[in-house]
Amino acid sequence: MKGFSHFMSGVAVASFGPWAIEAAQNGNPLFFVLGGACGILPDTLDFKFYRFFYEHDVYITPDPKNPDPQYVADEYARAVAMAVDEKRYIRVKLVSIRLGADFWQQYVVKIDNDKLEVQVQFGPVVNTGQVPVEGTEKRYPTVARAKLKAKVIQTYDAGMKVDIFDGPTIGLKPMENGDLDLEFLPWHREWSHSLTVGAMLGVLVGAGVWLASGWTPAWQSFVTIAACYGVHVVEDQLGHMGSNIFYPITKLRTPGLHWMHSGDGLPNFLTVWICCLLIFWNLYRGQPAMTYHFGFIHLMMVGLVVPGLVFGALRWLLNRGQKIQMAKGDDADDEWNDSKAAG
Amino acid sequence: MSAFWLVLISVTAGTLISSVLACLPGLHIYNVMGALVLGILALEGTAHPIPPDVYLPAFTGMIVGWSMLNTIPAVLLGTPDESAMFTVLPGQKYLMAGRGFEGTMITAVGGLAGAFFLVCVMAPLAPRYLPVSQQVLKGHMHWVLWVIITFMLMSEWPKGGNRGPAGWAKFYDAWKTLLAGLATFVLAGLLGFILLTRSPVNHEVAFQNIMPAFVGLFAIPWCLLNMISAADVPPQRSAKSLAINGDVILRSVWSGGLGGGIAAYFPVVTGGVGGMLAGHATAQRDERIFIMGQGVSKFIYYVGAFMLMFVPGLNLTRGGGAWMVKALYTPMGAADYYLVLGSIAVAAGLSYLMMEPLTKLTLRFIDRFNYRHVSTVALGIILAMVYAVTGWVGLFIAAVATGIGLLPVLFGSRRLNCLGILLLPIACNMSGFGETITGWLGLT
Repeated sequence: MKGFSHFMSGVAVASFGPWAIEAAQNGNPLFFVLGGACGILPDTLDFKFYRFFYEHDVYITPDPKNPDPQYVADEYARAVAMAVDEKRYIRVKLVSIRLGADFWQQYVVKIDNDKLEVQVQFGPVVNTGQVPVEGTEKRYPTVARAKLKAKVIQTYDAGMKVDIFDGPTIGLKPMENGDLDLEFLPWHREWSHSLTVGAMLGVLVGAGVWLASGWTPAWQSFVTIAACYGVHVVEDQLGHMGSNIFYPITKLRTPGLHWMHSGDGLPNFLTVWICCLLIFWNLYRGQPAMTYHFGFIHLMMVGLVVPGLVFGALRWLLNRGQKIQMAKGDDADDEWNDSKAAG
Repeated sequence: MSAFWLVLISVTAGTLISSVLACLPGLHIYNVMGALVLGILALEGTAHPIPPDVYLPAFTGMIVGWSMLNTIPAVLLGTPDESAMFTVLPGQKYLMAGRGFEGTMITAVGGLAGAFFLVCVMAPLAPRYLPVSQQVLKGHMHWVLWVIITFMLMSEWPKGGNRGPAGWAKFYDAWKTLLAGLATFVLAGLLGFILLTRSPVNHEVAFQNIMPAFVGLFAIPWCLLNMISAADVPPQRSAKSLAINGDVILRSVWSGGLGGGIAAYFPVVTGGVGGMLAGHATAQRDERIFIMGQGVSKFIYYVGAFMLMFVPGLNLTRGGGAWMVKALYTPMGAADYYLVLGSIAVAAGLSYLMMEPLTKLTLRFIDRFNYRHVSTVALGIILAMVYAVTGWVGLFIAAVATGIGLLPVLFGSRRLNCLGILLLPIACNMSGFGETITGWLGLT
């Protein structure tokens, strides 16, 4: 899911603690801030910290003065050969090609397992807004190819496109049948996306609070942190990539339920909106002297079901007879692009 | 003259004046309204007082016209105010592709869609539901602000650290942008504490005390950037069709309505923040929806906030326009509400009609002159506006704010962090420790 959905989920979970509402009514926003922050924290740890300390075995760094697609293809093939020959996990970094303050050479890496080769094609020069610069589309018409020592199985459906800012990391994992399993962004959703790590963080902060302010705020902080961090992990399990749920007890990601992609508009919006309604409901319950009264079902009908039906009906009316093509997404690819595009 | 014609003429005059003024970079309609409010107050008790039937529709028209047409300087001249900030990058992308007309008109369609949403969807529901939500939320505004600040700061991703071996050097390279973002937020917040506690601007122009800072934070850095780095703007062409359909409009209203609604309803949350939240919440990938959504968001932020003041049973004042009108008039029930809603509808239609000729006029101006010179002229107008309204002190504040506003430009961090100028001091005040901080700073 997108960062904002995780963040709002954290705030919503925090609002279930009566202590959070009581503190807020007394001018203390800390539990809600903590909830939101912990909701987005697993991605923050990955994208803002861990990835900069993640070691790579092969850096594919094309020369900006002489960009050569064949070099990229050859280096990729070398990384595959390393994984096969040395029978170990190889981490490859595809480095972006910066041509100027606002210009980047785009390139795409594709695997053709039938021909057992990697294909690299240089695309247009793009600006930081990822918009192609006119006249640069066909500067490199040839597709560079290099033979691979093994099939590289992609379990996700996104292409490996490198353009602005940072290029992606891929992991090549030897499998028992001799093929290689390709992991996109292997540093992501590893140890950080774990319920146990969330609980540990809660214990650590709770211990600090206990020393400073006593037992009651300590366990309240623990519950808020562990639950809000945990809801991120649970939400990510709804997608494709999954998370390493009980690290360090588990070592690998548990595949997700494949119900959605992390960048899908509707599930993200629904999550945010339902969170807003839940927060509203919890605040209403915590309000001592309300002159208006309503039930949970009433709130959901007025706030979710009726507007949803109206929106759905309008969309159906507006799109009758038209074929709507939705862009296919991928969890890792969505999050990677978000991290680059967020301004 | 009957009340109908009086209202119609007032709203038309207000809309036309603000439509033209909106094309001037750096001038906020609240500056003009502030001066008018002072004039109306001066005429009270004389033989020629201005009746509410004249100034309420006129002010409504001014806000509507401005919220719709301030896209023109933002996109075509690169001088956005804070609420139009998110339209600049995609808008200038259109400009650089020779499609500046299309970019601004898509935003205008968004504004019109926002007007429809406000008048036909929100307005009938508001008297019934907003008082309920106000009763639930009124004690919780402070933490909502803190939560928004937290998200704003946490959701900025590093842009450096792309090369070299793993380690601290790479980490530091990546965090330069984030640290610059944090520094921008804190410095802007400190400036906000000073301006909101002990503004050096003359008290006679009290409505305008934050204006030079906003101009310095948002518009001037953009002008400077254009002057230093502007590529030649290609010849512009007028599109016969905007290639939008009902579905695009519906989805734009969905995303922009959410962002603009949040910005209009919650205090200090501005159009820029609303636009950011809408973009994140609805995860729209289509650029047209994004641009149009920003048009919707901006319209609902300005006009919706003004409308809230008139919602029967709500008694909620949000936005600079409403606060100024409150100094003149206290709304009295449904009649005023309908008056304002009618004025919004008329003004939205009028200002949409003004959009095309004024956009073409501005594009002709850009076509004729070097864009770098256009940016220089825009900067000159902005500085003249600041001087005219707030004098040398205002220019000094604008200079300080420009220094802060250039940080994101230089380091590639998020410009929205400049909003610390309002968010930080007001969130601290609402949580009850603002005075402690101003005490530490020696301001109180």
